[in-house]
Amino acid sequence: MSKVYYQRDKNFEPDFEQFLRVLRRDIPHRPTLFEFAMNDRILGKLSGEKNENKSSRLAPFRRLIKAFTNAGYDYTTISAWRTNTLDFPKGNMAEKESRSLNAGSMITDWESFEKYPWPDARAGDYELYNDLGKLLPDGMKLIASGNGGLLENVIDLAGFENISLMYMLDETLTTNIFNFVGERLLKFYEIVASIDTVGACIVNDDWGFKNQTMFPPEMLRRWVFPWHKKIVEVIHRAGKPAILHSCGQVKDVMKDVIVDMKYDGKHSFEDLIIPVEEAYDLWGKRIAIIGGIDMDFLARMPVKDIQRRSLAMLRKQLSRGGYLLGSGNSIPDYIPDENYFAMISAVKNI
Amino acid sequence: MSELLERLSMLVEVGKINKVTPYPPEMKDMDGASEITQQALERGIDPQIILNDGLMPGMSRIGEKFARGEAFIPNMLISAKAMNAAMDHLKPFFDGGEMPSKGTLIIGTVKGDLHDIGKNLVKMIMEGDGWSVIDLGTDVGGDKFVKSVNEHKEAIIGISALLTTTMLNMEEVITKLRENNSSTKIFVGGAAVSKSFSEKIGADGYFRDPYSFAQSFN
Repeated sequence: MSKVYYQRDKNFEPDFEQFLRVLRRDIPHRPTLFEFAMNDRILGKLSGEKNENKSSRLAPFRRLIKAFTNAGYDYTTISAWRTNTLDFPKGNMAEKESRSLNAGSMITDWESFEKYPWPDARAGDYELYNDLGKLLPDGMKLIASGNGGLLENVIDLAGFENISLMYMLDETLTTNIFNFVGERLLKFYEIVASIDTVGACIVNDDWGFKNQTMFPPEMLRRWVFPWHKKIVEVIHRAGKPAILHSCGQVKDVMKDVIVDMKYDGKHSFEDLIIPVEEAYDLWGKRIAIIGGIDMDFLARMPVKDIQRRSLAMLRKQLSRGGYLLGSGNSIPDYIPDENYFAMISAVKNI
Repeated sequence: MSELLERLSMLVEVGKINKVTPYPPEMKDMDGASEITQQALERGIDPQIILNDGLMPGMSRIGEKFARGEAFIPNMLISAKAMNAAMDHLKPFFDGGEMPSKGTLIIGTVKGDLHDIGKNLVKMIMEGDGWSVIDLGTDVGGDKFVKSVNEHKEAIIGISALLTTTMLNMEEVITKLRENNSSTKIFVGGAAVSKSFSEKIGADGYFRDPYSFAQSFN
């Protein structure tokens, strides 16, 4: 055991109801935090455990839950890649600091579609989510997310440029690929949302570049959004809120997200696209706004500026709620630890 | 003649490749860029005129629409495919099968970064505007750019980066290129890059979209 570098409060008690209040666009009784994912170094500093213990099925999660608790979250986010529940086999993809959206495509035509080893969405270890309940402190729930979203997985399977041409030149194959991925993701969310320890779900699916959506909105409305609508429906049917994590410029489809798909919260904001303060003013009365302290801002700005902006955002939500403080996307290892701590410590100063 | 070339431009712009391709749905079973180019040649229209007044304006128009946010990347890809189908008919008429060129662009995504969609769009638009493009691919360091520019002394260079972390590697590439050939024009672009950043690292220019980059040379 090594040093714990940050604790929200020694007596902090998670209270998932505070998170639910925000998702209902109410004012929480105390400032509430959100983070989708954090790098291993910061998990080590928050938990006081430098390395992940892999001695048993539950052991790696003990450290993760401890880190989220010490940081002051009311939940632990848990992705399907950690639980080995649903994963679409991919081709070889070289990875550096980034990876190509064209790499690793396994489905380029009907023959490769028919040969593809489609996973069984029911075959995963969903009991794990139940078992993790033994590790959760009172008041804390899990927030479950998939291993990539519908469009992300289709792009991974077919390649961005391939699918761009395919939807125009072979609509039937395109429909089949989206349906095969969509049916499996829907089943995944139907199962996880019904588990008692899971309090909410994140549907993570990037749709945009800096200036616009990756595909024309009418393409998204035909192949992507109907599946999101079904996924939100199964999450809501289980009595849980659904959060959309989608990066890039999505303003042209935000009405679809709010009115048609009926997401409860939107996560992922970038200053170059729309600063979270503006997003809160623009959409905050109709959907909870989550995170949004820009990644570049977090990476480069001095601690006092990060504290000032985080505090200002918390003050902004005091009158009508519907906001969770957190980063625009996640905490990768290039964000200085002290900058992340500066952001989350704003909850102590309001 | 102008009516045929205008139709050819329109077919490239909307991405109608040939008669059998189903896109756009409202043009099903109609001749595409491939058939109309063949017809233009059969009518004796000069291949250079077909290229300059038929194909290139179509590609330019879709690039302009993309720059205005009125078209999307898939529209650019299908237009490029239509243009390539037409070019297959023209190539035999040019010396050695090589298209006449406005100049050479050496392009690559900077070291550490594997994103290639933005780079590929620049390549498509520049080729559509009459440039020869040497694509060095992704994860390209200074040495590879230097080697290529030494082989193509008159070329200009385009460097792409998507991330705030990888764009920092652009400066190292530019320094290396300047050390080897100070007269080479170097342009940068990509989601995280800005005009002020390009000035800071000593690039000769920054463009926010492929169309404005191509137009800056016209």
